[in-house]
Amino acid sequence: MPPQAIQPTLVKPQLAGRRRTWWRDERLHYVLMFTPALLLLIGILYPFSLGVYKSLTNEKLYLSSIQFVGLRNYVDLFSEAAFRESLLRTLGYVAAVLLVQLPLGIGIALLLDVKSPLRSFLRSTLVLPLLIPPIVAGLMWKTMMQPASGVLNWFIRSLGGQGIDWLSHPSSALMSVVLIDTWVFIPFVVLILLAGLQSVPEEVVEAVRVDGANELQAFLHVKLPWLLPYALLVMLFRIPDALKAFDIIYPATRGGPLDSTRLLHVMAYQEAFRWSNIGTAMAVLFVLWFISYVVSMNVMRLWRRRSGMIQGD
Amino acid sequence: MTSGNWLRGSLVALGYVVFVAFILFPIFWIFLMSIKDFRDIIAYPPTFVFTPTLRNYTQVLFGADTPGAATMVSDYTRFFRNSVIISGGAVALAALVGVPAAYALSRARFKARHSIAFTFLSFRFAPELAVILPLFVIYRQLGLYDTYQGMILAHQLIALPLVIWIMLSFFNDLPLEIEEAARVDGASVLQTLLFVALPIVRPGLASALIIAFIFSWNNLIFGLVLAGGQTQPATMAILQAMNFDQIKWGEMAAAAMVSAVPGMLIAVYFQRYLTRGLTMGAIK
Repeated sequence: MPPQAIQPTLVKPQLAGRRRTWWRDERLHYVLMFTPALLLLIGILYPFSLGVYKSLTNEKLYLSSIQFVGLRNYVDLFSEAAFRESLLRTLGYVAAVLLVQLPLGIGIALLLDVKSPLRSFLRSTLVLPLLIPPIVAGLMWKTMMQPASGVLNWFIRSLGGQGIDWLSHPSSALMSVVLIDTWVFIPFVVLILLAGLQSVPEEVVEAVRVDGANELQAFLHVKLPWLLPYALLVMLFRIPDALKAFDIIYPATRGGPLDSTRLLHVMAYQEAFRWSNIGTAMAVLFVLWFISYVVSMNVMRLWRRRSGMIQGD
Repeated sequence: MTSGNWLRGSLVALGYVVFVAFILFPIFWIFLMSIKDFRDIIAYPPTFVFTPTLRNYTQVLFGADTPGAATMVSDYTRFFRNSVIISGGAVALAALVGVPAAYALSRARFKARHSIAFTFLSFRFAPELAVILPLFVIYRQLGLYDTYQGMILAHQLIALPLVIWIMLSFFNDLPLEIEEAARVDGASVLQTLLFVALPIVRPGLASALIIAFIFSWNNLIFGLVLAGGQTQPATMAILQAMNFDQIKWGEMAAAAMVSAVPGMLIAVYFQRYLTRGLTMGAIK
């Protein structure tokens, strides 16, 4: 809007005569308000780009001579079986997390969408795991999963079953971590999907009901398609979080037994602090960062397209 | 029809029971452990009936196991105090820096604002070590390793994107008319933010700060890499209790319960804006 044209009629008389000086320019104010955040952003981006450089060196924690080695770290990593296994394991972990948490999340969201007097109690219960430190969750489950004396195996045995090795055997450790991850993050998944279910327009459900659809059909043909952008939003957050899983795995298994839960983020930590190979660790981290970036940018693009289509904005 | 309703009702009830058991049992179990003495903890089959004790809590909170030690600050107390200082400081700084920044991003019309906003968002998706490992090397050179200042600065990686994006979503929802009226009356941009916009989005601000606090409080990896003996947060205390061969199960459980308190309080009292906060404003 042209300020000169409007202001004389709206502005208080004593202000109208005041000259607009440069320090009252609102653009300057906005820049000033943004500057501290920009400085912090640079403070974050600087170590990040320093890390990119470090991934191209042979830096060790307690070694003063650092040499530029080009892409050597990356080439070495991909020719190393342990790294390739860890990479595949990480991708498998992400897939397992999504395959378990999306259907389970939809189920629980449907359950909590049912009108009942217990609903507000159930919602309060739901969010508890999400707000507990993941390390505490890892510890709680590790305790319950003790093969010989844990309460889970006691429960299974008293039902007549065979105890499970849970975290202490390579064959079951990773799935046990997926279970813990599910306990911690299922509230987040459900909260998003529940918001989706509650935004389903009543008229549409009513309309297909009138046309003779039963509850299952109404779910499959109306609610499920409606939930797609919400499921994409779940993936947008859960995929990067699962790719960089650390806070649960570290207390629960430290990457063991026999590296069976050694995902890339854990591997990077161990390379840095067990073997003090900063260069290698940074190379692992940038492979991880690259995957996370490419996947989340694409999911975000999909999500924006789908949510724009359905919500019409 | 009625038999269908009955079936549906019992399925829902069964679902409720399984769901509540799945969510609550681990918390209940660790709570039981925190009020057991050692013999009850290691008992097999697990004991549900026992004489409760508060020793683990007094040990964790006051370190008063040995006579005369009550005046000494226990390790756990120090860890909790560190967590309060680091997370409190980090959230305060993030609010001070992030709220004006979010307002500027929401109101000023300049080209780069979308890419700047997305740069902040992208930190949510990056592996934390990619930033804090180089930061570890820099901190050791600058003397910021194992200091509160260094920890508070590093925690901006968690807190700042949350505060900026949540506040951005709330500011974008505000009708512009009220603010324009204030501006026409001669208020500066900062005055408009402080006295007009901010009072309206107070619930949004509260949710942003609380979620940032919880995420910062819950974090493990920052303390693991950037904190030494002086500034270790509560999550590290729990990890250390697990390090020794003879694990102090009871104390560990009590420390875990205490460190979970801020989050659990919020879960009960503060639900309305949780989804919006956790999705960084993507869901209203």
